[in-house]
This record gives sequence, structure tokens and C-alpha cells, in this order.
Amino acid sequence: MAKKDKKDVARANYPKLYDHDPLADVDDDMKSKVSELETYIMKNCLWQFNSRGWDRRKQNAGILGKTTQLLVGEEVDTSTPLDKCYWVDAVLLARNFRERCAWLSGLGADEIRSVLAKLHARIDWLTIDGSLNEELTVQNY
Amino acid sequence: MPYHEFEVSKCIPERKMHAVVKGPGEDLTDALPKGYLNTIPGTISERGCAYCGAKHVIGTPMKDVIHLSHGPVGCTYDTWQTKRYISDNNNFQLKYTFASDVKEKHIVFGAEKLLKQNILEAFDAFPDIKRMTIYQTCATALIGDDIGAIAEEVMTERPEVDIFVCNSPGFGGPSQSGGHHKINIAWLNQKVGTVEPEITSDYVINYVGEYNIQGDQEVMLDYFKRMGIQVLSTFTGNGTYDSLRGMHRAHLNVLECARSAEYICDELRARYGIPRLDIDGFGHKALGDSLRKIGLFFGIEDRAEAIIAEETARWKPELDWYKERLQGKKVCLWPGGSKLWHWAHAIQEEMGVKVVSVYTKFGHQGDMEKGVSRCGEGALAIDDPNELENQEALLTLKPDVIFTGKRPGEVAKKMRVPYLNAHAYHNGPYKGFEGWVRFARDIYNAVYSPMHQLSAIDISKDDYAIDKGFVTRRMLSDATLSEEAKASPITGYTGPFDPISGLRGKTYPVFERRAATEAAE
Repeated sequence: MAKKDKKDVARANYPKLYDHDPLADVDDDMKSKVSELETYIMKNCLWQFNSRGWDRRKQNAGILGKTTQLLVGEEVDTSTPLDKCYWVDAVLLARNFRERCAWLSGLGADEIRSVLAKLHARIDWLTIDGSLNEELTVQNY
Repeated sequence: MPYHEFEVSKCIPERKMHAVVKGPGEDLTDALPKGYLNTIPGTISERGCAYCGAKHVIGTPMKDVIHLSHGPVGCTYDTWQTKRYISDNNNFQLKYTFASDVKEKHIVFGAEKLLKQNILEAFDAFPDIKRMTIYQTCATALIGDDIGAIAEEVMTERPEVDIFVCNSPGFGGPSQSGGHHKINIAWLNQKVGTVEPEITSDYVINYVGEYNIQGDQEVMLDYFKRMGIQVLSTFTGNGTYDSLRGMHRAHLNVLECARSAEYICDELRARYGIPRLDIDGFGHKALGDSLRKIGLFFGIEDRAEAIIAEETARWKPELDWYKERLQGKKVCLWPGGSKLWHWAHAIQEEMGVKVVSVYTKFGHQGDMEKGVSRCGEGALAIDDPNELENQEALLTLKPDVIFTGKRPGEVAKKMRVPYLNAHAYHNGPYKGFEGWVRFARDIYNAVYSPMHQLSAIDISKDDYAIDKGFVTRRMLSDATLSEEAKASPITGYTGPFDPISGLRGKTYPVFERRAATEAAE
């Protein structure tokens, strides 16, 4: 693999997406579904906690994006090593979600997308935009 | 914000921001202790220094290397043999430690000449070893010794040797974590890409952040080899110097301890495009999922599933035997860094214990995010605690057992709280399906030790019971169990005393390489 020497220092200036908890304005049913999925991630996964905010943004989007595609039966791009790495975490997540959350099988594709979009927003809030971690914007690894 | 103020630290108000209690319904945006900050003067921190983090934690587990500290002999001595990162070359790196033995006169006149003499003497004393790491210390950093120049000089004079210079003096960071960072980046900048490794498999990984504590790495390598995966290097437990120079050729970095080694993974991803996959080698579910993920990445998940099925069938019943007897036992999970999140959820789910507190000596807020997420409501999370705070927490929380290092562990024992060594283990390895049962066995033995019960008797008093005989662990642990549970034919861990030496001579299946198969077709 080719070696890249140039450091992208601008990466630390990633934009904020949320200024409040995205679950604050959803109904109880959605809140309960998202909370169940969120609890599984926070207890069992590590990918959402990379050390820098810009990495967390990419991790959350990559893995939860692919998890959504798997849950609704869409084809998933695994053409690059990074995509494949997101995909393996997504496969495990989708399997565990299906195993633990029977209600998922009763939802249509659009409903699943809607729940997973809220979950993505919530994980972004917990790990990036609402996070109290002061090291997320350090420029270097 | 549910910050927790220790009574003993009221005179140090800054400490209040370093401890939180996870309250009902709260999440990470409500509660997170400060972390990785300079130690507050007067708190008597238990942290190690940046030199210790670089040398003792990360550098020294490399097995075929002369590890030489350029500084006073005390720096080397105090970071020698206290952590059991064994190796399959007769533990060379544990048996020998080297120091340039800097004294006052060298501080005045310089110690570069002394260093060169020491390097040559060390290579001459061990002619089979051609690799060396040199660690900067506070004293030699302050006098400005140019270790890099001396190393270059020696490498020019002796082209067969290679030397790595780690410039991480003790003052180079708030804690040992500063040293982890420095040695990660220094290794990447100086050494990665300087050796082209031989690739023998279609599936090639670096196993990163693994230090072979009592054989952990060898247990995990056994699984990888059974899957036909080539482990190009291990950073750094039981790893060789030259294999780590070839890290740039791996297809995947499998990261275990993110606290100590995520930096090199992140930079390998940024510079060479190698993805980082975080795994957990502790706990049956987490380990199974980790093997599945690696298998999926390479398209060989069936091989992972075969291992998981075999290992689970062998070890899960024994793990469950302990779980039944450890239900609800309160644990203070007080390791150095990563184990607070590696273990917090897995021990609760798979061993039935309850984590009432987590702490980290040198962790960052990221470690606390993982740890606080993985423990339950009411858990006390503490950053960089001191001994008085530890004692107050033990008196308040009344844990049944504590997992920590040997310094706070000995204090806990004197307070009659059984202690297990979270850094070097008691009877490890703890990784792997079998290792996890060994950990459960050690917890069980700690909690139900008859000696521990006896130690509560104050024999200086006349009123202790003399009509009770010696009790066994089983009498204590099974007292409240059902008759059915008591009648179980399982009696706990049945593995060998040493599960590692057998792995060293083991042969593995040879999988045909994809390239060869495609050529044949």
C-alpha cells in the first residue's frame, strides 16, 4: 500500500450536527426502540469510541449506514478495505439486533430506516456532539 | 452533574471533577470524569511516568531485544519483572534488563560516552541479540544527551545491529499514557517500513495492543493460526523487533488495547490505508464476535464458527458453574486503563458479578466513556485516584473483591478486601475461552477463600468462636444454592496448570492459498 505522509489537520474542525438530544422530540415508541438498540451498542461495541471526533463521525456513519442497508436487504459496498471493515461490524450488529429485537421483523423498510436514522443521530449525540470528552478535537492521533 | 466528592479530598477541590456516579436515566452527556490531565499537586497519584509507559508497558514485551535505559539504574530496576509478559524464547526480555547507570558526574560532564560504551558492552555480552531499544529518562533528557546520534554511530560501526530510540522521559506526559503515545509514533516513524516481511497467507493481520500477559497472545494466536491467518506482528507481547518493522504489509490491524496502541493503528490507517478493527479477547460472547468479525473480513467465517463451537462446548459449562456461585458479588474494577471497559460488561453478563466502581489510573476520557457505558447505574467512576480515596471508596462500597494493581491491591488486602491482579493476573492467561474460566476460577477463589474468612478473626480477643472447624470454599459458595445446583457433576475449572507450553509445539492445518487455487483453475 502506498504511504501517505501529508497530515490532514483540518479534520479536527468537523461541523456539529446536533445541538440537543435527538431523542428529546420523538414519541415514546420510537424512543423505546432506539434505546434498546442504543443499549446493545453501548454495552457491546467499541467502534463508536474511536479517539477523535472526526473518526467517530465516519465510524458511526459507516457502520450504522451499512447496518441499515443490511436490515432492509440492500446491497452493501465492500469494495475497499475500510468499507469491508465497516461492513463486518455492521453484519454483527444487524445479527444481534435481529436476535434481540423481535419487533424489527414486523417493520417495513421505511420504518427500519427511520428507526436507524434516529439511532444514528442518538449515537452521534452521545459520542460526538453532546460528548463531554475534551480530546475529541485534538488534531493529532 | 453527578460529580462525587470524596470526604478525604475536600481539601483538593479540583478532585471533584475526577469522579462521577452514574445516576438513574443518565448517559455520557450527563456524566464523565475529567481524565489524562496533569496530576493535581498534593493528591499523591498512583500513576506511572511516561518513561514507564513507553518502556515497561510497550517496549519491553518485544522479546528478541536488549532493552537499555539511558539513566540512573533505579529507572530500569523499578520497571523490571513486575509484569508477566512472557515469551517463547525463554523470556529473554524478562530475565535481563540494562541501564547505562548514569551518576552525578555524568549529569555534569555528559553521559553520551557512557551510553556508547554500554551499548557495545551489551551487544558483546549477548552476541546472539542484534536488536536494541534505548529509552530516554528524565535525567539524560534534561542534560540533552543525543541518544539518536550515538545509536547512529553504533549502527554505522556495526551494520548487523539495529537500534530503536524511544525519547519518552518520565516527565513527557501526565502519566504513563504519554509514553504509550510517544513510543507508538516513534516506532511508526523510525521503524515501520524498514523490513519487507514474507507473506505466507491470504489473510494477514497485525495483532496490536496485546502484551502476552501470562500467555494471552499465544492463546489468541492459536485461534488465528487455526483460522489460517498469518499474524505478521504482535505489538508488542511476544513480538519480534523485525516483524514489527514490517507492519505496513498487513491487510488488517486487529486492535485489542486501544488505550495503549490505538495511535499506531490510526496512523497505519492514515498512512498505509490498513483498516483498524477493535476486538475484545475477554469474555465468551465478545471473543466469539471478535473472531467472527475477523473471519468475515477475510471471507472465512466458517473457520471462526468451528473454533467458537468447539471452545464454547468445552468451557461454557465450567464458566456457568462459577456464574451460579458469583451472582451479585460486588466488584471494584480498578485497573490501569483498558480492562475497565474490556471487563465491565463481560464479567457482569457472564460471571454474574456486579461492578460497583470503575477507575483508571492513566486512562483518558475515552476510556471512561467506554467504562461508564458498560457498567450499570450507581457505579462510581474515578479518574487517577489516590490511596485515601481508594480507602474511602472501599469502606463505602464494601466490595467482595477488587481487581487492581499490586500497590492498591495490597492496601485492599489489609482492609480485608480480596484482591486480584488486574495487570499481571493471578493465574492467567485470562484471554480466550479457557482463560475466561481461569479468571472466573480466580475470582471464586478470592471471594470464597477460607483463609480470607479466617483472617477476620481477632485472636487477641477471648470471644471468638472455638466450636467451628475449618470450612472449604464449596461450603461457603454453595450454602444458598439449590440441591440441584449442588449436585452438579461439574466442579469448576478442569484445565491444566500451564495451558501455554502445549501451544508452543502445536501443528496447524495448512490451508491452500487463494492465489494457488486460482492459478490451478
